[in-house]
Amino acid sequence: MPAKRSTKSFTATRNEAYVDTSALISFADRSDSYHPLFRRLFANPPPLVTTPLVIAEGHGWFLKRYDPAKGLQFLSMTEAMPLEILPIGPAEQRAATTFLRKYSDQHLTLADAVGLHIMASRKIRVCWSTDFHLGLSKVQLVIHQ
Amino acid sequence: MIRTQISLSEAEYEMAKAEAARLGISLAELLRRSLRHILPPDNQNPWMRYAGMVETGEQDASQKIDEIVYGHKK
Repeated sequence: MPAKRSTKSFTATRNEAYVDTSALISFADRSDSYHPLFRRLFANPPPLVTTPLVIAEGHGWFLKRYDPAKGLQFLSMTEAMPLEILPIGPAEQRAATTFLRKYSDQHLTLADAVGLHIMASRKIRVCWSTDFHLGLSKVQLVIHQ
Repeated sequence: MIRTQISLSEAEYEMAKAEAARLGISLAELLRRSLRHILPPDNQNPWMRYAGMVETGEQDASQKIDEIVYGHKK
């Protein structure tokens, strides 16, 4: 029996929030102006979902700004968090490409576009992000709430 | 307070003593602070110990991730 795709025909029954790379970096970086907000949000989180692309972006940020040790510390942070990391395959990539074409006038990354697809398919209403790109669809950014 | 005994290598002991002296605190206080840094403040939310784990000095760090990860457009 084929495995169920996690992002299709999903009806949001829980108060899920999508976590973008910027939320993780803001939580980790005490200099960031949104750090107090994300510190408070992560202290008492609703069900959280994200993708391996977000984790890869965050890890890449720590590798670029710091070193492999800090990169591993970031991965430990995400492992400790109550984050559901959704599997991303060819179907999600195709759907994300549709978003990239729709918003081709924006500097949208594939990770952003996959996030937009996940939020649309899971009917997620809140996005934890400081990146306005994630607000291109109808989902509300938590920094504007 | 609970009194306990730990074993350190000579090098660890010297480095810890030097750091304690630099901070103007006792060796015991240095070890207590180190433990507080390592241990989760809340056992129910172990990820909270990573909050503020780095300090870039940039207020908009979370809004410039693409520049860091993907680079500036040439």
